[in-house]
Amino acid sequence: MPDYKKYQCGVCGHIYDEAEGDPDTGIAPGTLWEDIPDEWRCPECGAEKSEYDLMA
Amino acid sequence: MQIVIIGSGVAGVSFAEKYRALSADDDITLVTREDDGYYSRPLLSRGFSKADIEQSIILKPFDKLRENNIDVLCGAEVTAIDRAGKSIALNGSWSHRFPTDCDTSAIPSSRQEKTLQYDKLILAQGSSAFIPPPFRPYEKLFFCLNSLVDLKALRKFRQGFLSQDRHPDWAIVGGGLIGCEVASDLAAAGDKVTLFHAMDRLMERQLAAEDSALLLKVLQDSGVKVLLNQAVQGFIKEENKVCVRTEVTAEFDGLIIACGFKPRTELAELAGLEIGRGIKVNQCLQTSDESIYALGDVAELPNGKLYAFILPIRNQALWLAEFLAGQKQEGWIPPVFTTKAKVHGFEAVHPYNV
Repeated sequence: MPDYKKYQCGVCGHIYDEAEGDPDTGIAPGTLWEDIPDEWRCPECGAEKSEYDLMA
Repeated sequence: MQIVIIGSGVAGVSFAEKYRALSADDDITLVTREDDGYYSRPLLSRGFSKADIEQSIILKPFDKLRENNIDVLCGAEVTAIDRAGKSIALNGSWSHRFPTDCDTSAIPSSRQEKTLQYDKLILAQGSSAFIPPPFRPYEKLFFCLNSLVDLKALRKFRQGFLSQDRHPDWAIVGGGLIGCEVASDLAAAGDKVTLFHAMDRLMERQLAAEDSALLLKVLQDSGVKVLLNQAVQGFIKEENKVCVRTEVTAEFDGLIIACGFKPRTELAELAGLEIGRGIKVNQCLQTSDESIYALGDVAELPNGKLYAFILPIRNQALWLAEFLAGQKQEGWIPPVFTTKAKVHGFEAVHPYNV
């Protein structure tokens, strides 16, 4: 099983967990961060993907 | 059942969509003073460094909600809540269902009045900018940044300078979260910024002292002139400039007041609901009237807290929809959350005090 990571939106605090994906916006569970399209935006506040940071 | 929601921010919209998903039959009407659609309030703090912000900030046009069988009355001001008659009175020049969104230019300018009956009323009006009383007489001299309407006005003003090949020189009064974010974003967009703060360190309510010092350095390095311990006494209009009076007087092109938020409790207060700093609610987000609920920035929980960040607000909205749909019995429990100042290049070492 891959080592899933979590990323956090720097604008609103939303957490993207690779293990869970984000089915509501069409991102399947297990989708790695780099595989999410660049035009994807934070489902809660609309910030761009570049606003997310890897969580320690 | 008739559900009426006042407010089209993250609280009102998240609730409406979740409730619609859980209950296909009830009528949902969302009443809002906004005209531009559901937009991202946190992104207001990126309003100058991003060129396409006026479009990209919109998360959902109101027509998307209408397609989802949520009626939206936009450009509408609620003037009263009649608790005995279970209705609200509104006033405005709103468009009805399924026009080409809320294009105000297409709507006759005549104002309409209307009453709407409710079985459950959801108050989610959010907050307005807090203007300290000594600054109120100068209202025409300053901007705030609390809504998309405010941002558009600021951008238009700024564009007037850019089109003459110069960048405006700004004064920002208030070194809290919003003041620091706006200072940072204006500086990132190439403007000259002076930040006046009354206290001896920035964002003293959210940050540890060490992080305030770090934030000061980040802002200074980005070109912001930060003045601490400033007692701003008032403002003076001088031809094309606006002056900020402290012990000395300094002149600027534009002035922004960022002294915090004030929950919009007026309507609830007029209706005789119990008010503290916000509208008082119990752990089920119910106000002192059993048919009226409040959530988001306006709601004051029994622990005295108002939850003004996206994460807990959305959590409240989803919870309330489930509760009213009969899927939750226990009260709302605040989720664990953190926040982060949107200051370019700033990472706090310690957790924020939220």
